[in-house]
Amino acid sequence: MANIALAIRTENLTKIYDVGWGRQHVGIDNLSLEVEQGKIFGLVGPNGSGKTTTLKLLLGLIFPTSGSGEVLGQPMGSAIAKARVGYLPEGPYFYEHLNAPELLRMYGSMFGLGGEVLEKRIRELLELVDMWERRDYRVANYSRGMRQRVGVAQALINDPDLLFFDEPTSGLDPIGAKDIREVVLELRKRGKTVFLCSHLLKEMEPLCDDIAILARGQLIIQGSVEKLLARDTANYRVEAMDLDDETLAALKERSTDLMWLDDAVRALFADRQSAFDAAAMIEDRGAHLLTVGPDRRTLEEVFIEAVGEESNDETDL
Amino acid sequence: MRPIFRVAKATFHEGWRRRFLNGILIFAILIIGSSWVFTYLQPGAELKMLIDVGLGSIRFFGMLIAVFLGTRLIPDEIEKRTIYTLLSKPVTRMQFLLGKFLGGLATVISNVALMGITFYIVFAIKAPQFAVPSAEGAPQYSMEFMYANVAKAILLSFFELAVVMGIAVVASVVFSWILAAIFTFFVYFVGQMSDFFGHLADPDAGASPVARVLLGAIYRILPHFDVFDVRESILTDIPVVWPYMAQTMGVAVVYIGIVLALGYLFFNQREV
Repeated sequence: MANIALAIRTENLTKIYDVGWGRQHVGIDNLSLEVEQGKIFGLVGPNGSGKTTTLKLLLGLIFPTSGSGEVLGQPMGSAIAKARVGYLPEGPYFYEHLNAPELLRMYGSMFGLGGEVLEKRIRELLELVDMWERRDYRVANYSRGMRQRVGVAQALINDPDLLFFDEPTSGLDPIGAKDIREVVLELRKRGKTVFLCSHLLKEMEPLCDDIAILARGQLIIQGSVEKLLARDTANYRVEAMDLDDETLAALKERSTDLMWLDDAVRALFADRQSAFDAAAMIEDRGAHLLTVGPDRRTLEEVFIEAVGEESNDETDL
Repeated sequence: MRPIFRVAKATFHEGWRRRFLNGILIFAILIIGSSWVFTYLQPGAELKMLIDVGLGSIRFFGMLIAVFLGTRLIPDEIEKRTIYTLLSKPVTRMQFLLGKFLGGLATVISNVALMGITFYIVFAIKAPQFAVPSAEGAPQYSMEFMYANVAKAILLSFFELAVVMGIAVVASVVFSWILAAIFTFFVYFVGQMSDFFGHLADPDAGASPVARVLLGAIYRILPHFDVFDVRESILTDIPVVWPYMAQTMGVAVVYIGIVLALGYLFFNQREV
């Protein structure tokens, strides 16, 4: 990665918490990460795996026990780095007596913004997060979704180069979650780097370019989504449901492997043509075709393989 | 400067929305507004009673507001997690600490100003009635002098409470807020008796060497809050002169500076 511009780089970052009575808790253990500029990077892991600790370290809200890190080429938590960073904390809280424009005015002024430029930016952002119509509401009267939307707006007030989003869709309804995902994708289009922390694997998979999986403070695996989800074999996969016995038998005969997934059937094929022929047969016979394509693993499968089954109860798969 | 101002402004508005403190303010204004009623308890010393109750209430209730507000300002930011979005911006911890202190101070000063105005009105109406001429026919008190002294007493209260606020804010960075409140109350009440500790630390007072060192340290380190209390001067018709005011206020400002600098050293290491 020597020639690739990095937005974040950590080296053996370790955070040990003193939890009293001489006991210690390892929040982060020798974490070495590299996040490329202009990518959407996902840090996933079960609750308590160290995602938020990593974010807080990168933002200088807490201090490492050992190790080091850089954000946009500056030491973690430095004022120069923070001027180019936006942060959406998990379940953001704001001063209750302010409304959205007042809140954004306060945050904007901390970046030296003011006057017409700031007012224009405030309007743009509130329209982006669909809060312009509700701009006069006080934070005290906000729903969780409204807080999250304003949280995104305040994170973008300085037009940052790097965004840290901690559980950005947590507590949002499906439309709200979709809106946030669209904002994240739009940010990548504009060349921004987005660092996402989440335990919602199904949301992270289509969104992220690169992913790192954390468990118990340790980096388990890191790489591009493409590579992580690819299988060693070049198989193709067809998934379908509502198959009659005859279709099932035909599928079994054509495929190299066949397995049941609850109500659905997954069949593997050695080449692309065989898979698409089988898919056509399934549709011709009136069964319900679910998917057809390269036999990629899901992030859920990668996660379980990497972290182990014992973590399933802590992660919303 | 702008981040300090913004944090201070938000803190000021938040401060005025604390119902518990609003309750203390309303109660204080009721007591101060009816301070003339207490004069009936001490016939012949009505003016003393009026000044004691009025100015005493301003100092006492102002101190309560300063302690309960000051010790909650930063812990509340951490508990409610509003600090995350602030400190992730280019706001230094010094700017944040100063903003919280100044915002809290503005709240206390505005509270004390309301109490002061209330007392001044009561005093302007009632004091002339109590300033009975002496047997020789000369006025016992010069009312012009007294009005000026009362205003100066209120001004000194502002500075006294600024010191209390500084100690409360910094204590809350070091301790939990309850411990910080207890610590600040302790400092306030011991500071009221600083002269007493000064006398005890004197070699002629007969205290053991260890006790003398300890009492001497308390005398030197803790703020001398008794210097802000000029009620005696008002009642004995001694003008509270400006050099005294300037010296007292100057020492208060220096003390606050030292306390905040110490607070910064702790807060800069504090994880949020």
